[in-house]
Amino acid sequence: MDAWHPGRMRAAQLAEQVPMVRRDTTGAEAARVIAEYRLSGLVVAGEDGVPIAVVPGSQILSVVLPQYVRDEPNLAHAYDEAGADELCGALNRATLGELLEAKRLTGTKPPSVLPEDTLIEIASAMDTARTPVILVVDREGSFHGVITLSRVLAAIATAAGQDSPLVRERLARDVLDKGGSS
Amino acid sequence: MSLTAWLALLVFATAYVVIVSEKFNRTLVALLGAAAMVAIGSVRGHEIFFSEETGIDWNVIFLLFGMMVIVGVLRQTGVFEFLAIWAAQRARGRPFRMMVLLVLITAVASALLDNVTTVLLIAPVTLLLCDRLALDPVPFLLAEVMSSNIGGTATLIGDPPNIIIGSRAGLGFNDFLVHLAPIVVVLLAVFVGLCWLLWGRRLRYNAEHAEAVMRLEARETIHDRKLLVRVGIVLVVVLLGFVTHSITHLEPSLVALLGAGAAILVSGLPHHTYLEDVEWETLLFFAGLFIMVGSLVHQGVIGELAETLTDSIGDNYAPAALGLLGGSAVLSGIVDNIPYVATMAPLVHELVGPAAGLPPQQQSLWWSLALGADLGGNATAIGASANVVVTGIAKRNGHPISFWHFTKYGLVVTAVTIVLCVPYVALRYFVWA
Repeated sequence: MDAWHPGRMRAAQLAEQVPMVRRDTTGAEAARVIAEYRLSGLVVAGEDGVPIAVVPGSQILSVVLPQYVRDEPNLAHAYDEAGADELCGALNRATLGELLEAKRLTGTKPPSVLPEDTLIEIASAMDTARTPVILVVDREGSFHGVITLSRVLAAIATAAGQDSPLVRERLARDVLDKGGSS
Repeated sequence: MSLTAWLALLVFATAYVVIVSEKFNRTLVALLGAAAMVAIGSVRGHEIFFSEETGIDWNVIFLLFGMMVIVGVLRQTGVFEFLAIWAAQRARGRPFRMMVLLVLITAVASALLDNVTTVLLIAPVTLLLCDRLALDPVPFLLAEVMSSNIGGTATLIGDPPNIIIGSRAGLGFNDFLVHLAPIVVVLLAVFVGLCWLLWGRRLRYNAEHAEAVMRLEARETIHDRKLLVRVGIVLVVVLLGFVTHSITHLEPSLVALLGAGAAILVSGLPHHTYLEDVEWETLLFFAGLFIMVGSLVHQGVIGELAETLTDSIGDNYAPAALGLLGGSAVLSGIVDNIPYVATMAPLVHELVGPAAGLPPQQQSLWWSLALGADLGGNATAIGASANVVVTGIAKRNGHPISFWHFTKYGLVVTAVTIVLCVPYVALRYFVWA
């Protein structure tokens, strides 16, 4: 391996800028953002732009599905295309704030790491909080960006000898750099 | 009574009050109560595990366990979802017709399985149907849970109190069919009329919404037909096993356990799928209750109470039966009918003994207890376990049913059904006996 050591990367180096959504973002808009940027989780920001919740992307599925279908998955087979469209359309009628309040989304308070924290400290913090996204905040409370699960895994894969151009690119460029075309 | 007997009574009363208050997990309270009985020396290990009179009633525990496993396998077939959607489509999306068909399906399923499982399976699909029809699902859920309590009254396995009564009184599947099914059929017919008065007349048909129900793909809910056929055959054989008890002499619990084994074998499902449906908490709750009540029996508390009652009843079984019918209905509305019957069954056993060979007048006490406890379960939201399950599902789906909303309708249904049972018990066990 060359002098580049992803295993020794610190949180400040792994931090990136990701699109954030707000409480008034609708469920459908949130789904679009996740799809466009291939995110594993959504960062919900407050009025001041500071992240207030992290919502795993898979939870949007639970919003599409009525509770009774989640209780009895067999019922999913009963829907035809028109019924499926109706269920998906319901995402337009609720904002993330409403869904969080109704506990249909369980956003966790975003956990944070320090800019100087190591890869293993980051992995441990993510594993403990069971979150796909973690914030990087220094001791003064300044926000440096977020670390996504895919970037942590890219660093882990490279450190474990699974280097590839795509993995390196993932480590070098922010999600936002790639835009919707990626 | 000895000091230990008084202490046992105190433990029992305290646990009962705490269970009724619903402030704590009922299983935890029952098990703590059982532990307290052991701690005060009221009952010992041998009596808990090996005594038919004062220990855990394994027939009840294993009958429930076996049926839970069978239902756990049956659930994977999607047959309940199919039946409910089929019913709604047969009704062409007309709300009251759909309600009647769902009520009848629930009642029959409750008689053949148990009412908690039945409502667990029928409630989600009801919510889907009401969503499609843009109808408030609460009237449908209430009608279903009440019909499940009525339908479950008809058989030994239909309602947990019946399983306890069957085991204590030595009554089999056929005894329940012969004695309770006829009145249950009448009660169901009357209940359908009540459904119209209480809810049906206010339900409105909408052709556009009905079209959304007609578009649902009922057949798609059964995605493994072979599994359905295999489990269906097992269920039929299990029911035959119950019915032929007088020939085979196989205990219902044994039939259910063998059926559960067969269902597991023919389904080939991984163990977590069917074990998920076993309500371990309920089974432990039963065990705790049996130990507490068994302690009272062991200490002679139940015997003394029975002696006092025998003195006051004398040979007047008619008022005793009707009093038990009405009293059980009232008390089952206040307390969950499972702990109520677990307490009352040993008392009735002390009063008249096992049901086999008893003259109809004395046997009527057992049937009055079953009718009163099962039907009284409809009175309030906590009267029966199925009610608690349905109100929980409704709340989780954004349609909370308050205690008083349930009670408003439950009292009417309980009063009407119990009043109809009075002439049945009087005529069948006294006038025509």
